[in-house]
Amino acid sequence: MTTSSFYSRFERHSHGEGLKGHATHYCPGCGHGLAHKYLAEAIDELGIQDRTVAVSPVGCSVFLYYYFDVGNTQAAHGRAPAVAIGHKLANPESIVVSYQGDGDLASIGLAEIVSTAQLGIPISVVFVNNAIYGMTGGQMAPTTLMGQRTATSPDGRSAFMGQPTKMAELISGLDGPVYVERVALFNAKQRNRAKKAIRKALQIQVEGRGFAFVEVLAECPTHLKATPEEAEKWVEEQMLPVFPLGVKKDEVREPWWPTHRPTYDRETVLKTIGGGEEHAPRACKGFPSHVARHDISLKLAGSGGDGAQTAAMLIVRAGINEGFDATHIPAYGPESRGGTSYADVHVADTEVLSPASPKPNVLIAFNAPSLVKFGPDVLPGGTIIYDSSVIHELQPFRAGVKVVGVPMAEIAVGLGKAMVKNIVALGALQAVTEIFPKETFLTAIRQALKDKCALIPLNEEAFAWGIKAVQQVEVA
Amino acid sequence: MPATKERPKPFVLPEFCKGCGRCISACPKHCISEGTEINPRTGLVPVVLNLEHCNGCGLCIDACPEPYGLRETPVDQDYELLDPEKLFGSRMTDAPEPVDHPDEAVPLAQMEPLVLKGNYASAVGALLAGCRHFFGYPITPSTEGAELMAKLLPKLDGVFLQAVSEVAAVNMMYGCGGAGMRCMTFTSSPGFSLMLEGISYMIGSEVPGVFVDVMRGGPGLGNIAPEQADIKLACRGLGHGNTHAIVLVPSTPQEMLDLTMLAFDLAFKYRNPVVVLSDGYLGQMTGKVTLPAQMVKPGIPAWAVWGDREHRRNLMSSIYLSEPDLEAWNVHLNEKYEAMKVEQRADLFLCDDAEVVLVACNTPSRMAKGAVEALRAQGIKAGLFRPMTLFPFPIDSLKPVLSHARRLVVVEASNGQLEDEVKLALANAGVRDYPEIEHVRHFGGVLPQLEEIVVKVAAGEEVTV
Ligand code: SF4
Ligand code: SF4
Ligand code: SF4
Repeated sequence: MTTSSFYSRFERHSHGEGLKGHATHYCPGCGHGLAHKYLAEAIDELGIQDRTVAVSPVGCSVFLYYYFDVGNTQAAHGRAPAVAIGHKLANPESIVVSYQGDGDLASIGLAEIVSTAQLGIPISVVFVNNAIYGMTGGQMAPTTLMGQRTATSPDGRSAFMGQPTKMAELISGLDGPVYVERVALFNAKQRNRAKKAIRKALQIQVEGRGFAFVEVLAECPTHLKATPEEAEKWVEEQMLPVFPLGVKKDEVREPWWPTHRPTYDRETVLKTIGGGEEHAPRACKGFPSHVARHDISLKLAGSGGDGAQTAAMLIVRAGINEGFDATHIPAYGPESRGGTSYADVHVADTEVLSPASPKPNVLIAFNAPSLVKFGPDVLPGGTIIYDSSVIHELQPFRAGVKVVGVPMAEIAVGLGKAMVKNIVALGALQAVTEIFPKETFLTAIRQALKDKCALIPLNEEAFAWGIKAVQQVEVA
Repeated sequence: MPATKERPKPFVLPEFCKGCGRCISACPKHCISEGTEINPRTGLVPVVLNLEHCNGCGLCIDACPEPYGLRETPVDQDYELLDPEKLFGSRMTDAPEPVDHPDEAVPLAQMEPLVLKGNYASAVGALLAGCRHFFGYPITPSTEGAELMAKLLPKLDGVFLQAVSEVAAVNMMYGCGGAGMRCMTFTSSPGFSLMLEGISYMIGSEVPGVFVDVMRGGPGLGNIAPEQADIKLACRGLGHGNTHAIVLVPSTPQEMLDLTMLAFDLAFKYRNPVVVLSDGYLGQMTGKVTLPAQMVKPGIPAWAVWGDREHRRNLMSSIYLSEPDLEAWNVHLNEKYEAMKVEQRADLFLCDDAEVVLVACNTPSRMAKGAVEALRAQGIKAGLFRPMTLFPFPIDSLKPVLSHARRLVVVEASNGQLEDEVKLALANAGVRDYPEIEHVRHFGGVLPQLEEIVVKVAAGEEVTV
């Protein structure tokens, strides 16, 4: 049949001038031409020319896009399967073919082909294995046979260079692919099989069944330094014993590939990102400049499960609800994995400048090491709130620092949930500093728990207990 | 068998036969033989057909590697008189000329501000910019961005794909961006290094895509604390070849959102990758984020390799085999980089009368801003020049500031990579007359602190409080 999936003129081939407008760049007798032809015929027969995207590799077939009248993308060496996945996911209805040679697929692109095959997303891979690097001039390929002489194995491939890689077997050993076959081109019967296999690999994709892989044993007469006829014979006699032909995997898999497109619906997007129009009520009468004039610096420090980060987030949320600027930055790194957890928080009337809190106005310490570490940094006139259920000894702090102990852990355990000790701490923070009104904290807590409403009463109670504990301490 | 007789016989135009002989052994009827005459146009020896015994089995055609080699004889046509153009068509393709399907701006009502981590804010910005495809590989301190995308994209019928490596991820972006879709990745310094190959291909093929690099300490594995040591990569080292991309530098969670959104617009405006250069501190920092007035519903650009009839003639490729072609292509790309100069952005804080001008971006610019306030309180006329684009460097807004600047102090978390950009921008703009550049630098995850900046600046001033 005459194929329409080839360009009528190869205008990309040397600007389509002269013979190049209708002839390939391949050497006489090269197997690539046949693989191209069967691919083009399959595209025609399946009527998918207008859906097809072909990904050209690096290697002799780098100029695949000279010939195929389909959407074309030329990929970096070895990356064609990843590029193909990008295309397939961009437009799930497109039919994407990754065409690769042995250097591209079996050497530099091993990670890409193996991971893409395992992904199982329906794309079709045509892998042309001619046991040699063609484009760069006849060097050893991962599929070069033992003893085969190439430019980089001048004395023949030896054990030192590893064994030829059997890609069809390797790929068929994965769970992702649905169909894997190795075919050849050296006689009419094999060519017929090759044609059918390529067609089947596309058909499977059209039906949305999965990843299909066809390895084509091909002739590179040029670097075999042979006539095309001799090259055919070489493939049959030398390659076949190493690369046995046949279907390696042909799994029954129901069509599963979804072809829906993403949504850009405004309401869905807003709901997804958590945007809301309702404004949180404001309770502050102005910036709490009694804590610090324009920018309040807080540090919350404890160990992993103390909830310092959550409490920090709630302070930030409260500040922002009140129309201030606020930031939170967790200390992370190996130290956070070592069990410590520090959070630096700032609340500023207009803009937080330095988000770190090396010299805080307020320190909340959940354990003794944190108090020892950061207590001395608290600024004069500042406040330290510590968990008196675990901290029993105090070191001296700067003059004018207010120090309040609240049995956070004890209270939380008494409430039946040790986890809420950070909320007890927030209650204490409110009572000691009056940084924000109670209502401001409670709103922030309710917002944070809007998907876990059942937890709200417990947290409200913990918050109230924090306040009460401070009052008791102050009375005492 | 009448059917056999109807089967068309083969023919070949001698100049399109490479004389490989594969058809000879394929013919069971021995109709084809090696030629003896060299074709003067090709220098090859085409085969000779003698179709007396031909049964039209077509096996020779199946064996011919050339698309316009052996073909079925067209019915009703005297093929020998036909030239290839008439025979095969004179145009490259019958596919139509693609047209742009433009993006749509969808207005958003005013929302309550969100409280978001920088990395989250960037992800939200991407979603609002119409990005529905994410390809990446987890790397601290950028992972929250990827994690949020993994959570939210399926709700929008979008795609989150964790690739086998950054190398694969960037190439997925190459495919997806080449198909005209808005796609992105979050990465951090070591991952960004791995993506540079792909970025070079994207630039060479004019494929848009957004890279959020949340910079961490290096070289090598370094650590996961903030650094600004990828500035040279983003500005000067985007893979091999004459590459450039717009580099946006946020300094607040708000800007993580705003500049990520902007990045998508610029990526498509210029058909080029855009880098959002953030730092580990900013990625982790939570702050107030106000949503924009509109979001984007992207269309499909005319150039996309989308995989339909309309876009069939399109090609993504960075190959230009002939030197003049590749030079012309580079000239085109260079003109584009030049055109990007209008995208210069900077934030000037108290620069109008500043005698001491601090230059800083990302998180260090926040400390620098605080330092400026503290210095002003001491009576020192300090100001902050904060680039929001590093490529193009906002030299146009720096130049006027220099007229009254006695001192220029670059504050950064790298070994002078920002300072190099400043110097290069000054040199390229022909500015010779500027104060000797001083600096406050830290590395390895340590950030310049407000107080040391103040001390550094004040030390050179006669302060009268
Ligand atoms: S070098 Fe080999 S593989 Fe490459 S075009 Fe020539 S024959 Fe084909
Ligand atoms: S169509 Fe069959 S018989 Fe005729 S030349 Fe070709 S291979 Fe021989
Ligand atoms: S197979 Fe094609 S290119 Fe080769 S000799 Fe026959 S007609 Fe010519």
